[in-house]
Amino acid sequence: MNNSQNHPQPDTDPKGSATMHSQTNTAPSKQAQLQLSGVSKRFGGLQAIDQVTIDLVPGIVTTLVGPNGAGKTTLFNTITGHIKPDSGTIVWQGKSIVGLPPWKIARLGIARTFQDLRLFTHMTVQENVLAAMETQSWLWQTGGKAVQKERAEKVAHTLEITGLADMARETANNLSYAERKFLSLARTLVSGADLWLLDEPASGLDPPSYDLFLKLLRDEVNRGITVCIIEHNLDIVVGISDKIAFLDQGRLIANGDPREVLENPELVAIYFGERKL
Amino acid sequence: MIAYLLNLGVFFCVNAILAVTLNLIIGYAGIFTMAHAVFFGIGAYTAAFVAMNFTSSLIVVTLAAMLAGGALSFLVALPALRVRDEYFVAASLGVQMLGVTIFSEWKAFTGGLGGVLNIPLPTIFGYEISTPTEFFILALSGLALVVLISRSLARGSFGRNLMAVRDSESAALALGKNVAVIKTLAIVLSSSLAAIAGTIYAYYLSFINVQSFTVDTSVLIMAMVIIGGAGTIYGPIVGAATLMLLPSALSYLWFLPKTEIGSIQQIIYGLAMVLLMIYRPGGMVSSGTKSAR
Repeated sequence: MNNSQNHPQPDTDPKGSATMHSQTNTAPSKQAQLQLSGVSKRFGGLQAIDQVTIDLVPGIVTTLVGPNGAGKTTLFNTITGHIKPDSGTIVWQGKSIVGLPPWKIARLGIARTFQDLRLFTHMTVQENVLAAMETQSWLWQTGGKAVQKERAEKVAHTLEITGLADMARETANNLSYAERKFLSLARTLVSGADLWLLDEPASGLDPPSYDLFLKLLRDEVNRGITVCIIEHNLDIVVGISDKIAFLDQGRLIANGDPREVLENPELVAIYFGERKL
Repeated sequence: MIAYLLNLGVFFCVNAILAVTLNLIIGYAGIFTMAHAVFFGIGAYTAAFVAMNFTSSLIVVTLAAMLAGGALSFLVALPALRVRDEYFVAASLGVQMLGVTIFSEWKAFTGGLGGVLNIPLPTIFGYEISTPTEFFILALSGLALVVLISRSLARGSFGRNLMAVRDSESAALALGKNVAVIKTLAIVLSSSLAAIAGTIYAYYLSFINVQSFTVDTSVLIMAMVIIGGAGTIYGPIVGAATLMLLPSALSYLWFLPKTEIGSIQQIIYGLAMVLLMIYRPGGMVSSGTKSAR
């Protein structure tokens, strides 16, 4: 497929001159914490992500939307170092992170959650959260008892605000789905990361749980955390997003105000699999 | 009778040390190695070599054995960093075969198939350990030391790092854990502690040969860990006790025909393992489910 032929151009789009864009028209924001420029990844015959250029800005929730197989999770994997891009640059707080191993990228302040959560299932809730703070890989963590106490207090506080305090000693395996989601979020909360990449964090949550999730997220965003979310549920997308980035077949085909993107009939048609660009 | 029990006690301690140290890798780090007997052997041969050529000081010999076990553990650590699951099991079997071949062929160090004879008795601060009771106390002390070290590591941040890697390597990486370092440390630590068992074994028997360090031993130690409860502190000790004491207990059953006792033991063994795995897959020291550790 020829990208230049199939890629939507801003001036040809009837409604989305502010939202539909090619990869060349995104000027890097001065405030952007993370800047992706021309990032591509191919798996055999599949172009999983194709020349994606996007900035993630502090205090803004950017939601990645798009049909299945659009490349959303691959983009996360590329940012976090789980996958190395074939081309393009990824700059975090002014420094390139391409080629760094995932654990180094995490230590630079980029946290992520997984769609399938990947909790430490045989550890207790408390241990899961504590483990998220213990990044040193040696036989013990430095800092002594003062740091240990500080961590214990942080774990207790985080479990309290995520509604998991009563389950602190329960193994992660024994939690309900919503509780597991909050445990995954709790690990991110204590990680101290400046950028959160959340893969479908709100899917399957009941309304009260969703409200709690939204409150926790907004509190952190207001503190200046940069957030990028993958989400399929359009109601959640509208409720959560400050900005929407629309991916299709690995290409970023729209990036802007949520309402403008979601009211674009062409994008909606793509999203629901009714047509392709 | 006392001598028999002390003898059984020493072998139980040696096997329990091996099971506890293997549990660090299998139970906590989730790395299923089939080569643990190699490090038992490296410890035993190094202890024998140092004791026969340099000093019979228990402390020096044990430290030398641990150093050798830890240093050569890269044989297992390297494949563990590259492959996982059944591929690693196959790779570790290769390490086990390699180890047995070297033990059999490197005559200058291991005495070849004939093994090493007349290993001198150990001394500690000039005192010679020689009686069965003293050897039992030595073996028990070795076990206590290994359990203490393993327990404090398993219950601390290192234990959490190991379990994190076991439960989800990608999540551990995403939380900033250097999985390669964690796995390597676990293997080095486990292998060097397993060498303590080799030292006690070599000193106690004053004779070692390759037959004690074959894949059969690796499988037996793994069975002790799984039957007792992988990923629990005391499970491997219970597993070692069960597999060591059960055959002895069966030999006291008067109604079993003496000529068939070996076969009957194997049948009971097999049945017990199948039933245990069905009803208590987490091992004897667990709450009865796979999720309980």
